[in-house]
Amino acid sequence: MTETSKSLISLRINGQDIAAPESLSVIQALWYAGYPRVKGVGCLQGVCGSCRVFVRRAGRKDVTTELGCELLIDEGMDVHFLSYPAAAHRKYRLEDIPISWDVQAKFHDIFPEAAHCRHCNGCNTTCPKEIDVQRGVELAVEGRFREAGEEFVECVMCNLCQTACPESITPNHVALFSRRVTAHFHTRPSNLINRLEKMRKGELQVKE
Amino acid sequence: MVKKVPYDEALKRYKPMAERPLPPSAEIGEDILRTFHPDYISDRCTELTVGANAGDKCHRQLAEILQSDARIDEADLAASVEEETDVLVIGGGGAGCTAALEAARAGVRVMLATKLRLGDSNTVMAEGGIQASVDKDDTPQMHYNDTVKAARGQIDRGLAAQMVTDAPDVIRWLIQQGMQFDLDQYGDLISRRAGGSTAPRVLHYRDYTGLEMMRVLREAVFNSDVEVRDYCPAVELLSDQAGHCAGAVLSSLKSYQFSLVRAKAVIIATGGIGRLHLNSFPTSNHFGAVGDGLVLAYRLGAKLRDLDTFQYHPSGLAYPLHLGGTLITEGIRSAGGYLLNANNERFIDELKPRDSVAAAIIRECLEGRGIDAGDGTCGIWLDTPGLELRNPGIIEEQFPKLLHLGTKCGIDPRTQPMLIHPTLHYQNGGVVINKDGASTVPGLYCVGEVAGGVHGRNRLMGNSLLDIVSFGRRAGLAAAKRSHSSSLRQKRISVEHLSAYRRKLMLANMPLEQKGPILFPEYAKFENDSDYSGLRKNTLRKSTEIAE
Repeated sequence: MTETSKSLISLRINGQDIAAPESLSVIQALWYAGYPRVKGVGCLQGVCGSCRVFVRRAGRKDVTTELGCELLIDEGMDVHFLSYPAAAHRKYRLEDIPISWDVQAKFHDIFPEAAHCRHCNGCNTTCPKEIDVQRGVELAVEGRFREAGEEFVECVMCNLCQTACPESITPNHVALFSRRVTAHFHTRPSNLINRLEKMRKGELQVKE
Repeated sequence: MVKKVPYDEALKRYKPMAERPLPPSAEIGEDILRTFHPDYISDRCTELTVGANAGDKCHRQLAEILQSDARIDEADLAASVEEETDVLVIGGGGAGCTAALEAARAGVRVMLATKLRLGDSNTVMAEGGIQASVDKDDTPQMHYNDTVKAARGQIDRGLAAQMVTDAPDVIRWLIQQGMQFDLDQYGDLISRRAGGSTAPRVLHYRDYTGLEMMRVLREAVFNSDVEVRDYCPAVELLSDQAGHCAGAVLSSLKSYQFSLVRAKAVIIATGGIGRLHLNSFPTSNHFGAVGDGLVLAYRLGAKLRDLDTFQYHPSGLAYPLHLGGTLITEGIRSAGGYLLNANNERFIDELKPRDSVAAAIIRECLEGRGIDAGDGTCGIWLDTPGLELRNPGIIEEQFPKLLHLGTKCGIDPRTQPMLIHPTLHYQNGGVVINKDGASTVPGLYCVGEVAGGVHGRNRLMGNSLLDIVSFGRRAGLAAAKRSHSSSLRQKRISVEHLSAYRRKLMLANMPLEQKGPILFPEYAKFENDSDYSGLRKNTLRKSTEIAE
């Protein structure tokens, strides 16, 4: 099948009317139609969170947030790329938390607004990976860091949740803090430690 | 025309079965690589005529950009901002972040420049895992032997030995940064077996190992003293009178300006070349993977190696087309997933090394046992339903990324097989380095996919994530040490090496139209984007001169 024999889909991307073959993603359609696109393009496999778009489908009132590389074009679709904002970053270093007993207190120092969640569900609505973001923040506030982190296995750090939060919580960073303290303080695999100990004693040298 | 079975018909023929023995006909001969691997397509290579590797074999598409003319010259830099740092890292993937973190912790000033955002890289897409011998029945020696065997004899043994020896400490370091791994009920690390290896050794976090590593390293960098410049591709290196590396020229995609960054040491960590789509293959690579670092290093005189060999990952998605080339982890085959042709037959031991498996898939397609994916592409089945039948629940539990991909394809991999075809995945060769990541040019370090020799002609699954952290840490420390002992004062920096290189190109009668590094794949139309014309003024002026 050649491209010309395929039916063309009409849609609008960033205000430009575009026609492209039906089997393309939003980013591919834009390139196909001859428009340059460099910023807001990343892995093209749905794991980097760069190509965030607002989408309104034909005949629908609601606007959804999706990733442009994964989104198949559809007749009458209206798409807008969301430029990537400078993320507000909390300054913390894991090395500055001396013992695991202090993690909960430190968390509230670093993320004081996390406890102010209004349960408005904005973060959950906006997440393109369908993560229960709000639940994750709630668990972190309660100090249940391992469980909080588990909610965010699929998080690609697209930052949409923090854009949506009226209390300026940064849920994805709250999540990453939760995941990092879990590994940093609690992952102690005995098979790894045994291996390191043997190597420290000079056993297991590699001969080329 | 090669025969292909239509997709719908092949799907109708397919029935999931828990067990399918490997038929004796699936035994592969020695010649499968020579006959079917894309590295052996005739005429794919040429000899380089200019530079440190003149006379060496190189893929034509890569040779074009290595022997390209610079995007800039002295005149473009007259009004540029000058800045200064100790260690400049170019590239914001796993290797760059690791090197930057270690250099900063060693107490020097570090700037990290990246073409797009921090973390936009191939690291984030790595799925299968990271190799480290930690099981009691495994040893670093076995890891070394497997790595060397898979490399098909063309490997820097010293680098391979260093990497496998570093491996267990690399895992500890990653855990200290806050990276999670899949653990068993006692908290021990769980491993998978990579194709072409003798023991289970690939540690992982679901099929999101690279994503987990990258989000942790990125967060660590953002919370460090490393100064991050995003949307700032390096378009050239700077040299001093001795020809040593002395910094780089960055071009900001935000301010549309060049800046000259003087540095005592430069670490290139720009990854590979997948988006050059060698031999017209789809790719699993990030949008920015177009060989920038190779071009910059080569022009400054760095020696490269093995420029004729690339890895085609056996399981790239072939259908639907809008997601073509997307990676499906080798972990599926490690867990026991079969590959089936249009006749529902297995045709190779799925855990052979990647180059052999990719060649066997291409053979099935060329010999009429492939399945039509539309638009001239062809594939074979990855039998995920069979795997699910043998191990109920395994896909949801261990391969969430595959399930998500299935949702985007409208396919449930637990009940329907996925159509796959090899996808351009990895640059096996690259810049020649030593154990500190130092190139042959003093002051220039290269780590990760941009460097060569670590994996020979064929890399094992899980050795790339190991490579970037092992050599990333080494290069970070070595670069910091170098900058402790050298001074920036009174050194004159310039881009004089560019005119020398241009002269050589002209003497060799090479065309000067191609500019490099190309920064973005051609289809992104960066060169037509009026926003960035200021960054290309030299290119534009040159092309008008030619037109006149």
